[in-house]
Amino acid sequence: MIDERIIGIFGDAIKISPADQTELVCESEEFYLTRFAENLIHQNMGRSDSTIWCRAVLGKKIGVARSNDSNREGVLELIRVSSDIAKNQNEDPKFETLAGSPDKAQSVGFYANTLELPAAGRAEAIADIVGRAKSDNLTCAGTYQTSARSLAVVNSLGTEKFAQNTEYRFTLTAAASDGKSGWAQAAGRDIDGFDFRSVSQRALNKAAFVGEPIKLESGQYTVILEPDAAANFLLFLAFLGFGGKTLYQHRSFMSGRIGEKIMGDNITISEDPFHPAIEYMPFDYEGVAKRKIDIIENGVARAGVYNSYYAHLAATESTGHALPPDNSYGPYPKAMVLGAGDKNVDEMIASTQSGIYITRFWYLNFLNPMKTLVTGYTRDGTFLIENGKITRPVVDMRVQQSMLEAFSNAEMISKEQRLIPQYGALMLVPFMKINNFNLNVT
Amino acid sequence: MADTEKILHVAIEKAVTLGSSYADCRYVEIDDESLSFSDGSPESVNRSTDRGFGIRVIADGAWGFFGSSILSESEALRAAQKAVEIAKASARLNDAPVELAPVSSYSGSYVSNFRIDPFTINLPEKIDYLENLDRLMAKNDQINSRTAHIDFRKTSSYFVSSIGTEVNQTIIQSGAGIELGIRKSRREHASRSYPQNGGQYECKGFELLSEIDFDSEIPRLTDEVITLLSAPDCPSVTTSLVLEGSVVGLVIHELIGHPLELDRVFGSERNFSGTSFATTDKLDRLQYGSPIINVVSDPTHSYGLASYGYDDEGVKTRKVDLIRNGLLVGYLSSRETAARIRRRSSGAMRADGWGNIPIVRITNVNLAPGDKSFDDLVSSVDNGIYMSTTASWSPSDDRSSFEFGCEIAWEIKGGKLGQVFKNPTFSGRSVEFWNSVEAIGKESLWKVWGTPNCGKGQPGQNARTAQGASPILVSDVKVGA
Repeated sequence: MIDERIIGIFGDAIKISPADQTELVCESEEFYLTRFAENLIHQNMGRSDSTIWCRAVLGKKIGVARSNDSNREGVLELIRVSSDIAKNQNEDPKFETLAGSPDKAQSVGFYANTLELPAAGRAEAIADIVGRAKSDNLTCAGTYQTSARSLAVVNSLGTEKFAQNTEYRFTLTAAASDGKSGWAQAAGRDIDGFDFRSVSQRALNKAAFVGEPIKLESGQYTVILEPDAAANFLLFLAFLGFGGKTLYQHRSFMSGRIGEKIMGDNITISEDPFHPAIEYMPFDYEGVAKRKIDIIENGVARAGVYNSYYAHLAATESTGHALPPDNSYGPYPKAMVLGAGDKNVDEMIASTQSGIYITRFWYLNFLNPMKTLVTGYTRDGTFLIENGKITRPVVDMRVQQSMLEAFSNAEMISKEQRLIPQYGALMLVPFMKINNFNLNVT
Repeated sequence: MADTEKILHVAIEKAVTLGSSYADCRYVEIDDESLSFSDGSPESVNRSTDRGFGIRVIADGAWGFFGSSILSESEALRAAQKAVEIAKASARLNDAPVELAPVSSYSGSYVSNFRIDPFTINLPEKIDYLENLDRLMAKNDQINSRTAHIDFRKTSSYFVSSIGTEVNQTIIQSGAGIELGIRKSRREHASRSYPQNGGQYECKGFELLSEIDFDSEIPRLTDEVITLLSAPDCPSVTTSLVLEGSVVGLVIHELIGHPLELDRVFGSERNFSGTSFATTDKLDRLQYGSPIINVVSDPTHSYGLASYGYDDEGVKTRKVDLIRNGLLVGYLSSRETAARIRRRSSGAMRADGWGNIPIVRITNVNLAPGDKSFDDLVSSVDNGIYMSTTASWSPSDDRSSFEFGCEIAWEIKGGKLGQVFKNPTFSGRSVEFWNSVEAIGKESLWKVWGTPNCGKGQPGQNARTAQGASPILVSDVKVGA
């Protein structure tokens, strides 16, 4: 993995750049993943790679080039290519400047033990899980991955940032021969804090739940969403509406509604990269220090997240949420916290006369983005709740639900929050009890 | 390339010395260029080069893989050692050794079909092309949301295996697309895209751009956007449904391509992409579709986005029947999965770049054309719906059921297109759907639709796939909004 010496290579290269402004970004990774299915390890891999981006600016013309050659010659070639693109590019009248961010950054979330876990260590944990699964006549599929990542940003406006962190992720689907299945996942920075036995047992217990799955009718139900399912909604809401680009283009459900109540009183969503459970990179791909942002406060839309480009257009400041220079999504929150409530999940179940417990969603996709209407399925652990108790498995159902309405109909939220990784984000999310949730027969 | 070849051979030799019973090593270099224009301004011009190698071994009967972007003999030795260590760790859990279907060793090269290498065209010409598209879309001043993009990729690869295969491949792919819309307010908006949602991608060079007739399509799309603004939602009803070819392409992708990936069938994707209803006990038994449904896997196709000469475990490509006269007769497979059903690999094993393990991917999965014109399809329907251009898709994890959304629909009444509807969706169960196909459009309506962003695997791998399709008529489909 690339270390802090890349700052010097970048600094020297930028000095001889022909562009008015030059930005160099390096993201480097050492990555290991063991994948298992049918109680066997069927894929097991390691990878070492670095991605370098150069953004060259000539007046209001911008060129971006990317490679994975981190040698000095490779970096100089990247500057040449991006400068050449900028020279031939049309002007972007909306562009103002790259971000200058001369303050220093400090790494958070780097734990050497996480990176040093050998393949044999991952295999040992999986063998333990498979052993327990076999004794319950279950089969397991899942992943166990560890990685270390570094991010360096240097630009001609004085930005020189470097930080690194580690991460582990674990996912498990346990399946019974009659088709029932259960899911669990975990993530974190420090592998020493990972209790794979208790996490995996959650999935095993669901798959082993006694009873024939019942097929329910289409209708509106009270549901209890596990944090994985709630996080899926949160991430989709963020995609639709929390970024400065969607707000600027009036494509966000929050466009023109800042200060307006758009969700229930009990919903508070913040982007909190420094939360001790999350420990995200302290700066973004422009080198701008990340800030904590209150996006939704007690149901009221407060703010989106910004990179320097959309901050300029919105006459505000970057919040440190730029993605890599060649992305087209615009700024995006990747360390969200959905505020905890005051119930535990047992109380939520006990208070439910009739409802459905949902472990996770599958293949959510937008049907009507402005209404935040999504379609998808329940998967790997859907259960009937009757008279305050989980009584039997349910045949998976199709979700067709407005996410804003769901977040307006949350009757209870749990104290417990889990760290959920999805699509590059790490989110801290509680259980949610939601009324009038639309589920259809497939 | 000579140095690279040597690095690959060093890695293979080291892996074999360390006890691997099989090893293969791939060097892959991918050059990408993507340009986009949005609302009259250049949005991005990005170029990238990504190169590295990955070695895959079987040691102690189990798989191990390590990839690196550092191209040196010392890194090749480290990578081989790491791959073998990882394989030996895998073996701790595995009772039976990996078994591979036999394959011949090959020495050869493959270059995809193209006339004009897009990387030889200068940047101003490409920017002019996009600017012109933007101008065409802006002709009607009601259109206030416009994007146009073009993308080019050149993949150069070199594959070596311990059974003596050495293969070079160069593949060029191009893509282009537009989206135009009217955004009046948060609630009043409509848009259309062309040639399909996300654009059309083919194994062709720069010439693809001149083959797509944006000039004559943009006025039609503009009219449709204006109509959509005041159109009612698609009614909820079970009815006859005519689907435009690109929609059929994505339906093939989700409801035939994915469920027939043999690794998925055997449970390898249970934790992520899901399982498959098309289990091997149904091979040669399941009436997957009506008797007019014939589907092949064909990486040898001349321009499909998933055209290649050899897959990423050195299997030479061929055309393989998947569904014949409606009957399930084959799968997309690898050497390992094919061995489990005592067949030859279909040559569908592909990896996303050098740093990932190959997995079974959708190839060019093509539904054979029928004999109907578009007018034949529509005129045979008394009451029904015609839908065009996929906007949303959501299959169940075993692919047995689905819901798709489209950009636009028309009522069909008395064999003629009428009222326009917005937000149309259709849903159902896969086998019932394919068995309800009554007619298929003829060859002149047939096209291999490229899908440049198919996700599968953990870590997530992107694959470029394609589906040959023409419009179809399906009976008794649940539609709505």
